[in-house]
Amino acid sequence: MKDVAGTTLIETRQLVKSFGGVRATDTVDFILKEGELRCLIGPNGAGKSTFFKLLTGQIAPTSGNILFDGDDVTGLSSFEIARQGIGIKNQKPDVFDGLSARENLWLAAQFDTDKKTADRRVERVVDELKLGAFVHKLVGELAHGQRQWVEIGMVMARSPRLILLDEPSAGMDQEERVRTAELLKALNTTTTIVVVEHDMQFIKRIADVVTVFHRGKILREAHVDVVLRDPEVRNVYLGRTEVV
Amino acid sequence: MAKFLQRLQSPSGERPGAAWWAFVVIASLILALLPQTLGLAQLLDLSVVLVLALLALSMSFLWGYIGILSFGQTAFFGTGGYVYAVAAMNFDSTTLPFLLGIVLPMLLAAVLGYFMVYGKLSDIYFSVMTLVITLIMNKAMRATSGSQYVVGDVRLNGQNGIPGVPPLQVPWNPEVTLFIDHVYYLAAALLILVYIGLRLLLTTSFGRVMIGIRENEQRIELLGYDARRYKLLAFILSGALAGLSGTMFAIWGNFVAPEMFGLDRAAEVIIWVIVGGKATLIGPIVGVGIIQYLTSWLGMQGVGQVTLVLGVILIVFVLAFKDGLVPTLGNLLLRLVGADPESRIKKGSDLEKGSDL
Ligand SMILES: Nc1ncnc2c1ncn2[C@@H]1O[C@H](COP(=O)(O)OP(=O)(O)O)[C@@H](O)[C@H]1O
Ligand SMILES: [Mg+2]
Repeated sequence: MKDVAGTTLIETRQLVKSFGGVRATDTVDFILKEGELRCLIGPNGAGKSTFFKLLTGQIAPTSGNILFDGDDVTGLSSFEIARQGIGIKNQKPDVFDGLSARENLWLAAQFDTDKKTADRRVERVVDELKLGAFVHKLVGELAHGQRQWVEIGMVMARSPRLILLDEPSAGMDQEERVRTAELLKALNTTTTIVVVEHDMQFIKRIADVVTVFHRGKILREAHVDVVLRDPEVRNVYLGRTEVV
Repeated sequence: MAKFLQRLQSPSGERPGAAWWAFVVIASLILALLPQTLGLAQLLDLSVVLVLALLALSMSFLWGYIGILSFGQTAFFGTGGYVYAVAAMNFDSTTLPFLLGIVLPMLLAAVLGYFMVYGKLSDIYFSVMTLVITLIMNKAMRATSGSQYVVGDVRLNGQNGIPGVPPLQVPWNPEVTLFIDHVYYLAAALLILVYIGLRLLLTTSFGRVMIGIRENEQRIELLGYDARRYKLLAFILSGALAGLSGTMFAIWGNFVAPEMFGLDRAAEVIIWVIVGGKATLIGPIVGVGIIQYLTSWLGMQGVGQVTLVLGVILIVFVLAFKDGLVPTLGNLLLRLVGADPESRIKKGSDLEKGSDL
């Protein structure tokens, strides 16, 4: 589904979010085509998580607009945006700690369907993500990486049109990262994805176009190879030469 | 046995097993047979425990299932009692008044809940607001001593309350009214039904979403659920339960008074639930029993400051057994039978955290 020339799935126009004096999102014009797998990078505090929270209605923008599939969704609450077909894994694991992994997935899967279909969706996700080993455990008792998997599974169980993943590979070991990258590529055959990541190996493995945030603004947007060679990007973000 | 005891934690969404049903049957049998061994006075005492247990459940279900802390369930309890009293004294039959005693508090909960939930009141303000509402109703009811405050033929009587509330009639045979032992059986049956109903509610998707809200409201919203709707529905259900309790209280005592809305009663509800444990459904019922008997025992010993003693008990429980009596005893029993209470998490079944009780 690399139909990158296709229709615009999500778009922001002059999007601004101020926290007191800080502009965490500063007049961002962002366009994502259906079928893309986009990476967002930028130093800590650049405004990546804030941008995701704006897109999913977790916080309301100070000004500007968000369009999803051509509809203005600015100001909708998060459950309404979720129903439009946007799923998110927040940076901080956002799961039901007091429930088992299966119950977590089940809550995600059963939202718009009957119990049977929900059970099937849960089984599918458990298989695809290989969660079988800990599916009965309380999520609060799982390792950070496993909790991330559960949360990714919850997002997948809803089969959204757009998936936003905020640092999905944080807390994972190298093998898990490779698996995550492969999973995202497979998911991308059916779903549009935006990923916030710091791990350059990970980004190179999956990314095509990369958007660089800096101080709430989009600093660059180009193919991963171009971006990683860009002196300004290296200056603000990488600061290290060995990653390129 | 160990497996059964391992379920003394907060409710989960799994279907209750055979052990739970056995427990329900045994408890029902005991409740059914108790009148054989008790005198009328004791039966009267036990009846009010069962009636107030409904009020305790109305709070603990909100708190334990969905995570809403309502300090003012007495608003619906008092409304239920007064509605039954006034309606029963105005109408010939008591069947409609009984139903109104449930439905009107439920409507009140719907209206208040709507403004509180959709008004985006934060959790702490929600709790405080419920308390303020019941205190206002208490004040308002106290102010009705003038002769102008009548509903139909009934004077509200301010702080003196309304005496002579009619006993409940058998719906299909109004000539027959319920006597003390009948009220006991009715209260026991209602409590058992409510207990079963609340437990089974958890196995529905509505119940599971409620638990999801308790665990992480943000995530529930990000999955597409409108958490406010669930909170409002849960609050309405709890209002109906508290109203039922108030109605039964009026029937039990043939009397209603503004104290039904009062701070003492509201505080007692919190104490029952905290002492018994909010995480289980059986905990608050046990809490009511212990506190009620303790209160009357202290009264008989001539202890004047019963409220003070209850306050101390509350503090002890909050500090020492913060899960409440039933979960704490459950874990203790688990240790005695040689199971590690924590290990249920590692063993693997969706029931681990789940309490059937
Ligand atoms: N709720 C908030 N209140 C105040 N400031 C915030 C809040 N959320 C984020 N910020 C600020 O906004 C900026 C961007 O943060 P964030 O979006 O988390 O960056 P990133 O995800 O790129 O590391 C930071 O300066 C952060 O301190
Ligand atoms: Mg971030």
